[in-house]
Amino acid sequence: MAAPPGMIDPSIFEGLQAKVDEDTAVRDELKDIIQALEKNNRNISFVQSRAHSTPVAQLASIIQASEDPIKNAIESISRLAGVASKQPYYKFNFMWTRQVQDAIYSVLLWAWLGGKDFGDGKIKCGRLLTIEELGEVLNVPVNLKDQDEFHITIEEYLLALVSLVEELTRLARNAVTLGDYERPVLINQFVKDVFAGFQILNLKNDVLRRRGDGLKYRVKDVEDVVYDLSLRNLLPKKEQE
Amino acid sequence: MGLKRPREETMGENKAEKREKPDQATSPFMPMFENFRKELDEHHDRRERIIKASRDITASSKKIIFTLQRVRKLGQPMPQFVVKGNAQYWETIEKQYQSISADVQGLNAFRYGSNITGGNQEFMEALSFQHYLENQTLVSYEEAKSKIASMSGAGGAVLLTPEDYILGIFDMVGELMRFSITTMATNGKLPAGEPKTAGTSNRDSHEDKMDVDQQPPVTVSDGEPRNVLSDLRALRLQLEMFEPSGGRFESDVRKKADVMRECVDKVEKALYGLMVRGTERPKGWVPGLREEKRAEVESH
Repeated sequence: MAAPPGMIDPSIFEGLQAKVDEDTAVRDELKDIIQALEKNNRNISFVQSRAHSTPVAQLASIIQASEDPIKNAIESISRLAGVASKQPYYKFNFMWTRQVQDAIYSVLLWAWLGGKDFGDGKIKCGRLLTIEELGEVLNVPVNLKDQDEFHITIEEYLLALVSLVEELTRLARNAVTLGDYERPVLINQFVKDVFAGFQILNLKNDVLRRRGDGLKYRVKDVEDVVYDLSLRNLLPKKEQE
Repeated sequence: MGLKRPREETMGENKAEKREKPDQATSPFMPMFENFRKELDEHHDRRERIIKASRDITASSKKIIFTLQRVRKLGQPMPQFVVKGNAQYWETIEKQYQSISADVQGLNAFRYGSNITGGNQEFMEALSFQHYLENQTLVSYEEAKSKIASMSGAGGAVLLTPEDYILGIFDMVGELMRFSITTMATNGKLPAGEPKTAGTSNRDSHEDKMDVDQQPPVTVSDGEPRNVLSDLRALRLQLEMFEPSGGRFESDVRKKADVMRECVDKVEKALYGLMVRGTERPKGWVPGLREEKRAEVESH
């Protein structure tokens, strides 16, 4: 040690302050992008919320209308990835994980409503994007283990999936209101399949556990809708094939 | 849906295959979730190892500090009873850092930050306290960081963040307070460095003590060794000047800053009591406590 006078070498705190200030600058840069993404997400959900009052036959209009806002979100995410990848991933991950989850959820809903297979203009509901497919849509890596770069984590994907199930539960009821008795059956199966997946996970006491625990109530909610329909003989007969 | 299975079964590795067949064969998402399960399990295992290590490091650091509180002299090498008594705790800490070093490399360097910070802070407190007792200076962040790195072994360094360091230093102020008060009570004076003539046993910190009063808050006259109070004030000044970066760290700093100020106040009050009435009191008299009691009685 170069024998600085006194108890504290002043460079100690100067150095620390500089480090902390650097982090603050990174946060500020990230904050702007994250705010943009948040706005993109709101725009998507503005369009997608109409799904609750739109019959399947007209869903195409929602898919089309959501294309641009989703593109914007994807752009924000690549900007985020660009800045975030310069930093250790988990150092700042807490800042954007919420907004990224919301974006994932939007894309999952878009795909479920038929957006992913929209090519030929026909609507087919019920598709779940795998985490890899999601990464392709968002154009970012998923579940990285060796590289310290921006990516979508398993936890983010699963939490978005819980949000999707919650939204579909609502959609099951609203579909009935629209006179659509087919989708509740579809949703019923989908929600059960997701729930079965969650059941094999060994969840610890964390946010995933808390939100995953709620899934069983969603399963029951959708079952109730199907039960109501079957009681009144409203279930579509061709459902078996 | 199939039958419900007891939870224990879902924990076993070998039972995984058996379970899917009757139960979840219907869900098309199973392969994906199986992969998730594997990775989440790995993550939870890592996290648990780190939490446990952090706890053990905390416990051993506390014991080190406890022994250090029996030291009465500043700026001297550690007495034998400290070196001997604390050896096992240093060993435990080193072992714990080594046990998790592989878990916190690369992508995972910051992932478990909130799980290890407790242990890091407590160790920082012990490390900086001992460093102060030996050298009467503040250990630098870089020194502390490389100390932990050297204890982490072949798996790679366990990271000490600037946040861990700062929060550990805040806690160290509390130890300096205790050290000052007990030394005052037993020796009847505030602990200070040895005068430079006496300091043959002093090590590299020796030069530090010559130019004491270049630090603004230090008001000791020329040639006099610095005492703990002037060092505490220097620390307080630096810590109060420090601007945290927001979020959790900022609120931690605010909380600890209040405690830190109280600690410095306590030493100042104790010293005041010692100066005013010290000569009237027998050795071993503890200033703060009795003062308060008496004041209470008089007010009735």
